Amino acid sequence: MPKVVKSTVIDRPIAEVWEVLRDFNGHDRWHPIVSDSVIERGQTSDRVGCVRRFHLKDGSELRELLLTLSDADMAYSYCLLETPIPLFNYVAHVRLAPVTDGDRTFWHWESRFDTPSGRERELADLVGREVYEGGFAALRAHLGAGSAA
Amino acid sequence: MPRVYVSSVIDAPAARVWERIRDFNALPRWHPRIRDSRIENGEPADRVGCVRDFHLQNGDRIRERLLGLSDYDMFCTYSILESPMPITDYVATLRLTPITDGDRTFAEWTAEFECDAAVAADLVAGIGQNVFQAGFDALKRQLAA
Repeated sequence: MPKVVKSTVIDRPIAEVWEVLRDFNGHDRWHPIVSDSVIERGQTSDRVGCVRRFHLKDGSELRELLLTLSDADMAYSYCLLETPIPLFNYVAHVRLAPVTDGDRTFWHWESRFDTPSGRERELADLVGREVYEGGFAALRAHLGAGSAA
Repeated sequence: MPRVYVSSVIDAPAARVWERIRDFNALPRWHPRIRDSRIENGEPADRVGCVRDFHLQNGDRIRERLLGLSDYDMFCTYSILESPMPITDYVATLRLTPITDGDRTFAEWTAEFECDAAVAADLVAGIGQNVFQAGFDALKRQLAA
């Protein structure tokens, strides 16, 4: 079961970063590969158990379920319900921690999933680079946080 | 219960930083406030339960017990057995986490303890700045890429 772990430091205070990330339905506003997103059944995006249905720029439709949301730990977890990409049993965890030295933010993003045999490396790279590292760069730009802190 | 939390980024791979700090008896080698140290009863410094007996540069003596150590999760947890500070039940953890972006290290140092409410703020500030941040500043200098 491939495991992808990526982490970075964002040059903004943690409250600012968490405010953006805690909105499970906000990713179409800052992640370049997401074109639109909606929470099903009119629920709010901070209701644990809610499902976001979104489209990538290439038209693919995905659905993800919010498993955990914690303002105390500044962390959330979610799993993939439907996706045209063969990622099975995909569960991801995001957590932030303050970097007190400089009032910055440490961002940790990881996931485990199954893939068709032989495609582990390709899909792990897709997740790690396009989704996670792409996400770091996108949020950094969205917050006006310059280059890697 | 007063709590100290100090964190920083060290510009070196986590494995290298861990190598430097994992030795429970090596504070004098990397922390500018510590003058000398020894492990009691000649035990290995990575034997969980061992006690380090050390002196600060100003002569103050402190004894601390190793409660936990992980080469996998890169953390070390210890408690203070004796110190000149007006505190009890002091437990601290020093933990490293890799920052994959740039192959650097996120370092966190936390402590919880009991003390009189009147001295809590000063102790938190003092430990946070003079022990924890001073330690991180030293590591940054010593390991700068």
